Amino acid sequence: MTNREQYTPGPANGARIIQKDGEQWTLVLVRELRHPPEKVWQALTDPAHLREWAPFDADGSLGAVGATVKLTTVGAPALHVTETTVTRAEAPEVLEYNWGDHDMRWELESLGGGTRLTLWTNIGRRFIAMGAAGWHICFDVLDRLLSAAPIGRMVGGDAVKFGGWQRLHAGYARMFGLETAKNS
Amino acid sequence: MKIKVTTIYVDDQDKALRFYTEVLGFAKKVDFSQGPFRWLTVASPEEPDGVELQLARNDNPAAKAYQQAIFQQSQPAIMFFTDDVKGDYERIKTRGAEFTMPPTAVTGSTIAMLKDTCGNLVQLTQLARY
Repeated sequence: MTNREQYTPGPANGARIIQKDGEQWTLVLVRELRHPPEKVWQALTDPAHLREWAPFDADGSLGAVGATVKLTTVGAPALHVTETTVTRAEAPEVLEYNWGDHDMRWELESLGGGTRLTLWTNIGRRFIAMGAAGWHICFDVLDRLLSAAPIGRMVGGDAVKFGGWQRLHAGYARMFGLETAKNS
Repeated sequence: MKIKVTTIYVDDQDKALRFYTEVLGFAKKVDFSQGPFRWLTVASPEEPDGVELQLARNDNPAAKAYQQAIFQQSQPAIMFFTDDVKGDYERIKTRGAEFTMPPTAVTGSTIAMLKDTCGNLVQLTQLARY
């Protein structure tokens, strides 16, 4: 687990807000991965892969339209399960489903031998910097997983415990023009 | 082991936060979110490190059925203690809350009951002085 101990998240980057509709904002996160879209697609849809990096566990594949899948939020202080139906699954390019109130839209663009991965998701204004920081760490973990150098999933309390968490959270809050909430 | 938090189910966490702070006068204590999960608690300003009340979103059908059933039976989902139930009744009523029972003397205490606007009845209790 040396890799995990050495991990420090880089600065806030690759995020923007495209919609500020009242309290619900839309967060867009972009990450370039050195792995082909097919490999990234598997990591986004296969429960065994999701378990290694995502903030939820899935009880089935998210890779087919119409699939009904239970998503269990990992690292929450109480059991939290939501059910989703996959509304779009065009392998290995576009994937859409919802995680509770959050609409999740993933887009995978081939980029040389790698993938430009974009996530669109709606989050309440108050928690959008927290969400961006959380996904940032998840993407770092995903990148290392795909590179066959896994450092282990870091979500919920594990992510917040990090030395780099406050800095990352504050970085995204600044980027979005928000104050960092107290008590968070 | 200590009892530090108790939970009430609410149909809307933002609406509940407004009611429990602006109408009842509690203070927000913890508010964090992970994906669709939100941990939200309030505490009494008279006892900031006292027991926290978790305002939990009621997206569990079993909990929802229980909540509706006890509401229909006029049973409170939560009870708060006060030293001045008549004063609290007047103050809280001024802020727009709907009481289902004005301060009423019962065995050992005076109680009042109001709606929390989120699917629950709240009882205010002032113990009788012996």
